[in-house]
Amino acid sequence: MELRTLTDAFGPSGYENPVRALIRKAAEKRCDDVSVDRMGNLICRKPGRDRTKPAVAVAAHMDEIGFIITGYTDDGLLRFRPIGGIDPRVVVSKWLSIGEEGLPGVIGAPPIHLQSAEERGQVLGFNKLYIDIGAKDQKEAEGLAPLGSYAVFDTPYMEFGEGFVAAKALDDRIGCFNLLKLLEEEYDSDLICVFVTQEEVGLRGSQTAAFALEAEIAVVLEGTAANDLGDVEERFHVCTPGEGVCVSFMDRASIADRELFRAMLELAKAQGIPAQVKRGITGGNDAASFQRSGRGMRTVVLSVPCRYIHSANNVAKWSDIRAQADLARAFLKSL
Amino acid sequence: MEIKAFLQEVTTRRGLPGDEGPVAQWVAERFSEYCDEVRVDAMHSVVGRIKGEGPRLAFVAHLDEVGLMVTNIEEDGSLRLGQVGGIDPRILPGMRLKVFGLETLPGIVGAKAPHLLSQEERSKAQTLGDMYVDLGLAPDKVKELVRVGDQVQLEQRFVDLKNGRVASKTLDDRCCVAILYRAMQLLEGLKHQADLYFIASSQEEVGGRGAMTSAFHTEPDMAMVLDVGFAHQPGCDREVTRNLDAPLNTVGPYLNPVLTKKLEDIAKQIKVSLQKEVAPRGTGTDTDEVSASRSGVPSVLIGVPVRNMHTAVEVLDLSALEEAARLVAHFAAAARTAWEEELWN
Repeated sequence: MELRTLTDAFGPSGYENPVRALIRKAAEKRCDDVSVDRMGNLICRKPGRDRTKPAVAVAAHMDEIGFIITGYTDDGLLRFRPIGGIDPRVVVSKWLSIGEEGLPGVIGAPPIHLQSAEERGQVLGFNKLYIDIGAKDQKEAEGLAPLGSYAVFDTPYMEFGEGFVAAKALDDRIGCFNLLKLLEEEYDSDLICVFVTQEEVGLRGSQTAAFALEAEIAVVLEGTAANDLGDVEERFHVCTPGEGVCVSFMDRASIADRELFRAMLELAKAQGIPAQVKRGITGGNDAASFQRSGRGMRTVVLSVPCRYIHSANNVAKWSDIRAQADLARAFLKSL
Repeated sequence: MEIKAFLQEVTTRRGLPGDEGPVAQWVAERFSEYCDEVRVDAMHSVVGRIKGEGPRLAFVAHLDEVGLMVTNIEEDGSLRLGQVGGIDPRILPGMRLKVFGLETLPGIVGAKAPHLLSQEERSKAQTLGDMYVDLGLAPDKVKELVRVGDQVQLEQRFVDLKNGRVASKTLDDRCCVAILYRAMQLLEGLKHQADLYFIASSQEEVGGRGAMTSAFHTEPDMAMVLDVGFAHQPGCDREVTRNLDAPLNTVGPYLNPVLTKKLEDIAKQIKVSLQKEVAPRGTGTDTDEVSASRSGVPSVLIGVPVRNMHTAVEVLDLSALEEAARLVAHFAAAARTAWEEELWN
């Protein structure tokens, strides 16, 4: 499946049905045992050739940050709130797609001409922003986008620069894309590929998925904020797009298994797969719940450096995306 | 060409102030479908003429767009920006811009992520100086393809909303250029006496500079200026905003009251409902320059309301556009030399 198909798909946290249906179809071609648990996680079990080897879970989250409709104005504009961690600064003057059917909407801003200097110096928060779908009044707006309707950024996939891609939801459809690639091959160990729901609203899908898994090791495929350009001092750069997949020793939610962390870096070096150590402890992801659900698992995170991660345009480099799949595959083959 | 198709096409064209050549060329071609003569003047304004015996009546809508300009190229290859016309930098983070370097390059606007900001920084809006453009290119490549002074355009998406409303950048003021084009079509079915000039003016966003020279050159006896106004939306004082679905007419000292009365009468005859707007002093449109050209040009000002003016998601109602075009055509058809006698009595 093309990355473009995955990033274009609709799937904010709690409403992953469209993207899951897409992934399920692709997964069923590569795996005989595909199931969905009661949090909506898609679990694909692929038996290994050697049943004495430990089972490995590899996970990526299907859900994306988005928005939910919370009210209306008399003029027919929609009030909304973010799903997941979205800085209101990145939503002004952007395009949205509401519901599975993709009703178009735009988020405007008051004209600069009618704003005082003081007002222009303030952040336009979610309490001052509205979605315009062209409705003429509250009643029409309510009919078109009932309370609780979900929305996502409407951003066409674009390749640009030297090997870069910009799209919505690269976090974490890149992981889903690579996970589907891993499912194409045979391994000695049992492989359990988990396409997770609700990562962006508190690592919730992975919690129930992990509970029912019989794996001993979990590898999480993620995207991580790079913070490598502009006014960020070099000491705060987290990673560098183009320098390979990131291996984390720790983030805000979990500490990597030391052996797995070292093993990944050594494997990358031995096989010439570009990799870098994530130079910070920012972010948090599903590794936390895999590590601490049920009996617990040894975890490690492989992330693709991603610029502008929770905005309309996530930016990542293809060479890093490939390196994530290469390193995960090499790891599975090395067991 | 249908008016919506015109609008969709014209809003994609390149034409920041001082760089209206590409959009001017395209508009000149469209105008020439209906005009007897069309020229693009030294300031890149387009002047189309449909001949008549008199008086000389000019219609003016501006062609340029607000945008940005490369002011610096950083060592990491990111670009710093300056404004060309009034842009609220708060609309930029996460937007795909178009950089007109030696090649046209897409770039994403970045700024420090919120977790890297102090509590104090987080409460304040980021300024243009806090932002940069990421071209996804190595610094050497950036320096090869981009020069300081290159122009940068806002993201262009033309979106159909409900009820015949559309969202796009640069509806200000190319929707009024579209009104002129549509009025030319309607004039095919009407008789007119006036010598008609249709001016798509340059450099309005930096101060009516194109209209100044075009008005001088065409020497109109009277003028109608068309520009967008403010539609109701949250965060704006409703004293100065209007409904989206009908055209506007501005009154105030810069506008001629007698000519405005004629406009109102024509609107009534053809059943165009006009919403009044009041400009107690300058109108902030080309009217301010046109009305004081040479020995003075009695002027009226009409327009259509838009939401989110000067953003990439300006919104208007196509029905207001069509109504405005009908008014322009009938005003052009009604203009008489005798009007001039009445204007100052």
